[in-house]
Amino acid sequence: MSVQSNVEVHSEWGIVSARQAGRNLAKELGFGGVDQARITTAISELARNIYLYAEKGEIVLEGIEKKEAGGVHRGLRIVAKDQGPGIKSVREVMEDGYTTSGGLGAGLPGVKRLMDEFDIDSITGEGTVITVVKWLR
Amino acid sequence: MADSYRLMQEQYVKILKTYLEDKNEIGLYQAQQFSKKVLENQISPEEVVSLHIEALEQFYPDLPQGAWDSFDFLIEIMMGYGMAYREHQILRDKQKELESEINVAANMQQTFLPDEVPDVEELDIGVISVPASKMSGDYYHFVKDNNGCVGVAIADIIGKGVPAALCMSMIKYGMDSLPEQRLQPGALLENLNRVVEQNVASNMFITMMYGSYDPRVHHFYYSGAGHEPGFFYNRAEDTFEELYAKGLVLGLNRDTQFREYHKKIEPGDFIVLLSDGVTECRTAEGFIEREELTRLIHQYSDLSAQEIVNNVFYQLEKLQGFSLRDDFSLIILRRKV
Amino acid sequence: MNLDIRTEELERGTLLYIGGEIDAYTASQLREALLPLTEKKGANVVVDLSNVNYIDSTGLGIFIGALKSAESHESYLKLTGLNERVKRLFSITGLDEVMDIEEEEEAQ
Repeated sequence: MSVQSNVEVHSEWGIVSARQAGRNLAKELGFGGVDQARITTAISELARNIYLYAEKGEIVLEGIEKKEAGGVHRGLRIVAKDQGPGIKSVREVMEDGYTTSGGLGAGLPGVKRLMDEFDIDSITGEGTVITVVKWLR
Repeated sequence: MADSYRLMQEQYVKILKTYLEDKNEIGLYQAQQFSKKVLENQISPEEVVSLHIEALEQFYPDLPQGAWDSFDFLIEIMMGYGMAYREHQILRDKQKELESEINVAANMQQTFLPDEVPDVEELDIGVISVPASKMSGDYYHFVKDNNGCVGVAIADIIGKGVPAALCMSMIKYGMDSLPEQRLQPGALLENLNRVVEQNVASNMFITMMYGSYDPRVHHFYYSGAGHEPGFFYNRAEDTFEELYAKGLVLGLNRDTQFREYHKKIEPGDFIVLLSDGVTECRTAEGFIEREELTRLIHQYSDLSAQEIVNNVFYQLEKLQGFSLRDDFSLIILRRKV
Repeated sequence: MNLDIRTEELERGTLLYIGGEIDAYTASQLREALLPLTEKKGANVVVDLSNVNYIDSTGLGIFIGALKSAESHESYLKLTGLNERVKRLFSITGLDEVMDIEEEEEAQ
C-alpha cells in the first residue's frame, strides 16, 4: 500500500485541499474521528506556516507501514516542504508559549503533541522540511 | 493512556445511560464528578466529544446522518481547546520546574547568610531576616576579629526577588575578598563601593550600614552608604534616637568617601539596624511611623534581643495581613547589663 | 497601577510632570519617559514630583540611571516638588548631595 498525494500550498485554498487529502487518506487507513481531526489539524498548521512564511511549498501525504513484534503497524506520514527563508532558531519555535501567529497551544509544539513522530530540518535561506507521522492504534 | 481512555469510556456510557433513564440531579452530579476524573486522566476536550459520540452510537444508532456529521464539526471546533489544554499542562509542568529551581536557589542563598550570631560575652545579639517572596534582597553579615571586635553589616539591594539575590552574591564575595585585617567601617565601605560600582548596571545600587563593636571600650563605630537609619536606645534615659550615618549609596560614584561615626554604649543600651522593609511596612491606613516601631521595640525590651526582633516581626507582619511587601531584616545588638 | 506623565517643552529642554507612586511596577514607565530626555546634549530636564507621594528603591534607581546618563551626555537633570517622605529618601541615600533638588517654595 503506497498511496501518496502531493498538494501544492500557495493560498488558503491549498490549505483546505491539503486537509481534504489528509482526511481522505486517514479515513482510508482506518483512523477514527478524533485522530482524523488531529491529522487534519496538524496539516492545517503546517500548511499555514508554509503559506504565511514561505508563500509556497507542498504537503506530501503517504500511508506507511512498519514491522514490529506485534505485527505490521500502519500509519500516515505528512511531509511539509518549502523553499522559504527557513527558521533562524528551531529551538525557539519549538518552545511552548512562542507564537508568532498560531495562538494558544498551536504552532509547531502543538503539531508535535498531536502526532507520534516529529522531525524538522531547516536551513536559513534554503527552506524547511517538517516530517510528522501518526500511527494507527 | 489508551487504557485509561477505555476505562473512561465504559464509565461514561454507564453514567450517561443512568442519567438518560432517570433524568435527575444525581445523574448530573455524577457527570460533574466524572469531569474531574477526565481532567485527572488527562483526557482532552476532543476526546470527551468522542466519548459522547461513541456512547450515542450505542444508545441511538438511528440518529439522522446530519447529527453524526455535526459531531465531526464539533470535534474540529474542540481541537483548538485540546491544543490549548495540552500546552497549558506543559506550561504548568514548566512552572513547577521553575519553582523548584527557585527553591534550590533560595536554599543556596541562605548559605550566604551567617548560620548563627557570633558568641560574644559582652553582647546579646538578635537577628531576623525574612524575604517578601522566596529570594531576598537583604543581606547581613557578622564577623568577629582577633581583638574580639564584632563587625556587623546590613545591606539592602535595590528591588527584590531573583535579580536582587543575584546582586547579593556579589556583595557576599565582595565582603569575603576584603583584606583580612580589621577595616574601619568607612574604609570597608569605600572598598566595597569600588567593587559594586564596577559590577552593576546604571540603575542598580546598594545601601549598607557597617558597624564595628569594640567590647574593650564599648564603642560602636559605624558608617553608612545611604542606608535606612537604625536606632540607638539609651537605657539610662529610656529614649530612642536615630542612628544615622550620612553617605552616598554604593555603586554610584567610584570615589565616594564615607564618614565614620561612633557611639559610647553603656550597659543595657542597644543598637537597632534594619532594612527599609521594616520602616516601609504599609498598612491599610498608610505607612507605619518610625515612632510606632520604637514603641513596639520598647514594648518588648525586657526580652532577649532575639525575642525582641521575633516579636516585632510578628507584630508588623500581622499589621500587614501576613503578607510582606518588601524583604524584612532587623538586627539588635545589646550590651549586657 | 499607572503613572501619570505629562511633558511640557521648555526653552531648552523639557519639564516632566509625574503623578502617582514610583515603584517596581511603574518604574519602567518613568524610565521610558525620562531616560531619552537626558540623552540630548545640553538639554535641561526638570522633573516635577509634586504629585508623587511614594518612591521605592527601584524608582530611586531610575533617577540614579538618569543622573548617570545626564552626566555622560552633558545634559542637566533637576528635581522639584518633593514631598517630605520623598525628600527624606533622597536625603538618606545621599542623593541630595549629588543631584540638583529644588527646595519647595512655600509662597505661591
